[in-house]
Order: sequence, then structure tokens, then C-alpha cells
Amino acid sequence: MAERRSGRLTRRQGLGLGLAASLATRLADAARPAGAAVEVAPGLFVLPGVAEDASAANLGAIANTGFILGRDAVAVVDPGGSLAHGQRLRAAVAAATRQPIRYLILTHAHPDHVMGAAAFADCGAAVIGHARLPLALAQRGPYDLPMLARSLGAAAAGSGALAPTQLVTERLALDLGGRELVLQAHPPAHTDQDLTVLDAATRTLWTGDLLFVERIPALEGSLAGWLAVLERLRALPAGQAVPGHGPPSVPWPEAAEPLGRYLLALRDGTRAALRAGIGIAEAPDRVAVVEARHWRLAEAYHGRNVTAAYRELEWE
Amino acid sequence: MPRAIARRPILSGLLPGAAALVAGRAGAQGIEPAEAPRRAERWRDLKQAILGDRPTEPAGPALDLSAPARAQDAALVPVAIALSAAAAPAARALYLVVDENPLPLAAVFRAGQPGALRALTARIRVDAYTYLHAVAEMADGRLLETARFVKAAGGCSAPIAGDLEAARQRMGRMRMSLPEGPPAPGRAVPVQVAVSHPNTSGLQIDQLTRLSIPAEYIRALRVTYAGAEVLRIESEIAIAENPTFGFTLAGAPGGELQVVAADNRDRRFEGRWTLGAAG
Repeated sequence: MAERRSGRLTRRQGLGLGLAASLATRLADAARPAGAAVEVAPGLFVLPGVAEDASAANLGAIANTGFILGRDAVAVVDPGGSLAHGQRLRAAVAAATRQPIRYLILTHAHPDHVMGAAAFADCGAAVIGHARLPLALAQRGPYDLPMLARSLGAAAAGSGALAPTQLVTERLALDLGGRELVLQAHPPAHTDQDLTVLDAATRTLWTGDLLFVERIPALEGSLAGWLAVLERLRALPAGQAVPGHGPPSVPWPEAAEPLGRYLLALRDGTRAALRAGIGIAEAPDRVAVVEARHWRLAEAYHGRNVTAAYRELEWE
Repeated sequence: MPRAIARRPILSGLLPGAAALVAGRAGAQGIEPAEAPRRAERWRDLKQAILGDRPTEPAGPALDLSAPARAQDAALVPVAIALSAAAAPAARALYLVVDENPLPLAAVFRAGQPGALRALTARIRVDAYTYLHAVAEMADGRLLETARFVKAAGGCSAPIAGDLEAARQRMGRMRMSLPEGPPAPGRAVPVQVAVSHPNTSGLQIDQLTRLSIPAEYIRALRVTYAGAEVLRIESEIAIAENPTFGFTLAGAPGGELQVVAADNRDRRFEGRWTLGAAG
């Protein structure tokens, strides 16, 4: 794959191709083995994650990661869940272009998205994240690194996030050379440091974990906040999205609907449980149980989401 | 802190290694057989420190302690302690202990009204995979103990959820719920009360200043109904943020339920509700 793609992209330098070529690429990608980068839009590549928990077998490659090519520079979005995952992504960049990686964008602090940053430590890229990202990385680090070692064993060695060098408080535009990315920092939603990337040229919205598809969402920031942010994201001029978990690309805003339904069920169900005097210990087995069945790994995460929702909503 | 506890390496649970809380799940180990002698010895030490030389006996069916085997959130682990109908009227006090926490004694509940301790609930922080112990002190002086193993870790030093400033502004607000309605003669009912309070443990770190966030926590609650004491709770840093407790209330409807809470800074918080057709 590497050689073929490399040649094609060198000719194109990122953005020259039309829709037909992009569709052809997508069709070709459908037959590609796991672990290969998928070009979901011209010059926008996604390395799809698997719908599992991090393990030695999957090397923590459970989130979607990828990169965007401009005329002069490359932006990597989420370096992945381990050093090995980051290295795989870096190899995919090298196979696609000779342009330098100038930006390493972290959509939030979760380990499946940031632990591969170590693979990019020597490329001199600006490390960009939400203004609250440094705090979240500092708070999580002492928990996440040992947890990664527990999940991945020896393969966790060398993994780790990089300290952000550039923070986004609201909006930041990056110029990759003929291609502008708009980074948007959001109020608490999935986490309290969610950042999205909009590639205007291909109308592609890179959501980070503000969008989950198929894999059950994980609530950590604010349930009410997530619903509000999702509404704003729906209004963006994008025709497709790269979710944090799920297929490498999905139609936008249609793909937000299952997530919206789940979050609403969680909110309304938790409020009803509070009104009915159902305790926080019983709520996980009583709230949004039917809605949770539609999602992978629900058995591992739904109860936690209910607990987080309860904790948030009982004082609203 | 009692000496018997202090000489153990009690802070080891704060170190990385069991990060269930943030990552959302714990590793695969259960009650490690190799750990059993150490855990047993720790509980012997804790009993000595908390209860002195008084012997305890297995509670059997008189006392039930329940908690999720694997916690959803180590900083907020719901615990329920139930006394049997036969034992409840004679229970004077109930001790809740989280063996592996830096400060293991989480709360002491003292009955003002017979039966108030029949069904207790609390939310605790769990710092490492641990046994929970409940000990009921009976009117005849007997101490009945029971235990439950819980897999959760990192709860004491876990980052504070949400905004500490917002929590401070809300501090002292109280909630009360009566899932089965007000009490009536012959019909005692469950009551839950909650005090909005950050209940910081002193073990959390402000990541910007790298300094410990000072411990500010509710240390005592007193509940009265129609002027008579129902129960008192002595509460420690193992109690989760926004301390929330459940107990059993007997009496006639229409009385006023009053909760007075005090924290370690001697701030006093109060809530009053009239329980009845109008309440």
C-alpha cells in the first residue's frame, strides 16, 4: 500500500482530486486489511481503531487516528493509544508524503488518543490542544500510564503524551499550505477538553470523541454540555465526520443521531430515576437500559455513564 | 491517626498501579490469595485501633454489607448496610471501615431512635482494592462484623470531578428524598439526605500549583425528627463529595426533619423539611 499511495499523492500534492477519485479510493479501502490508513477525503487519512478495550493484541489501537496533508505541511490528529500505534501512524504519514509533520493535534486527553504522541517526539511539531488539556494530562498521567502497562504489558513501554505547546481557548486556524484547518475548543462535553478539527476543503469534521459510532460513548465531562455541543456541531458545514470511535468516516450530521438518542435517554432516564427516588447504586441497571443495548461494550461502560449522569444531574 | 494504623505503609495505595477510576475499569485480579494474610492482619490492627480490645463476632444474617464488586467510579462507591429486622432495634452504632484507605474509618452512625440504623447507605471513596468492614455495636455490648471485597482504586486522590469553584458556591445546599413517602405509625421509611460539599480529602493535588488541595470535609451530621434525635453520623474523608446518607425514620407524619451538618472548618449547614401530606 505504501508505495502505491506515496506515488499517487506526490502527483496530487494533497487536494487536486475530485469526488470520483475520492470515491474510488474509498471503495479500494473497503478491501484493505485492518491497520492500513484509509483516505476518507482527498489528503485526509484515517487509521481506524478497533472496537475493543486496549490490549496487548491490539496495542491500544482502539481509537481512530490519522493525518491531513497540505501543500507544505502535515497535521496529525490524535497520535494513538501506544508508542507502537503512533509509530504505525507515523509510517503511514511517511508513506503518503515527504512534507514535514508540523502539527500534532490532540482532541482530548484520553490515553487511547494521546499515548502514541511519544512516536512524534522528535519531529518538532507544535503540539496543539484545548486550553484545559495540560491540566487533564497532568491529572490523568499517574493513572493512565500504569493502566496502559496493565493492559498492554511490555508493549506499553515508551508510550506517553507530549506536553502541549500551543493551546486553543476558542478557535484556531492552521494553514497547511493551501488547506486551512479550523480547530474549535468546546465547553465540557465528552471531557472538559474536547477539540474538533474542521477541514473546510473537504467539508470533513474530525470530532475526536465528541462522536462515537457503534462503540458506546463514554461520559466524563457534562451530559448537558455534550448535548449542546452536539447541536452546534450538527450545524457546521461538513458532509462527513471522522468519529473518535467507529468507521473511519460517516455521513454528517446523520451519524450524530444514535449518539444524540443515547445521551437524551441517559439524561431523561436519570432525571426520572432521581424523581422516583432510585439510588445511585440501582440506577445503572434501571436507566436507559434498552438504548444501551444498541452499543458495543455497553456492559463495560453504560453503568459508568449512568453514574456520571446521576452525579451531574442530582444537583441540577 | 491511631498508631496501629500509622505504622502500616498506608500511603502505598495512592501510588499509581491500580488506576481503575479514571480508566473506567480495573485489571483482572480478584482477591489475591497471596494478599490474604496481610489483609487479615490489617483488619486486626484496624479493629484494635478503632474498637480497642473488645472482641467481635461474625454477624451472620444479622448484618448485610453490599457494594458493587467492581465500582463504576472509585471516588463514588455506593454502599448499603442492612441490619435484620430482629437485630435492628438493638443496634446502637455502626462502624464503616475501608481497610486499604489512608484513613480507613469512613463513618460511624449512632442511633438516636431504635431502628434508625436498619438500612444505611453512604457513598465512599476507595483508594485500592479493599475489604470493606461493617461492625454493628449492639445494646448488649456485642460487636457484630461483616465484610465485602470491592475492586476500585484511586478514589481518594482522584481529581475532583467538575468545577471545584462551582462546588464551593453550592456548598451547604441540602437535598432530602423520601422514596416511600413520609413515615406513619408502624411504618418506618427510608430517607436520604445529601449535603452539597466538595468534601476534599486532602490527598488531591492541584495540578497547576502542584500543592495539595486542603481537606475540607463534613465531619458530623445530626438528624432530628419532630424534635427528637434520629441519628448522628461522624464522617471522614473516605466519604465521597456531596456526602449522601440514607437511614430509616420512624414516627408520625407531619413532623419536621432537621439535618445539621458541620465541616472541619466549623462551618454549619442546616436543612429542614416538613414530612407529611403537605411536605
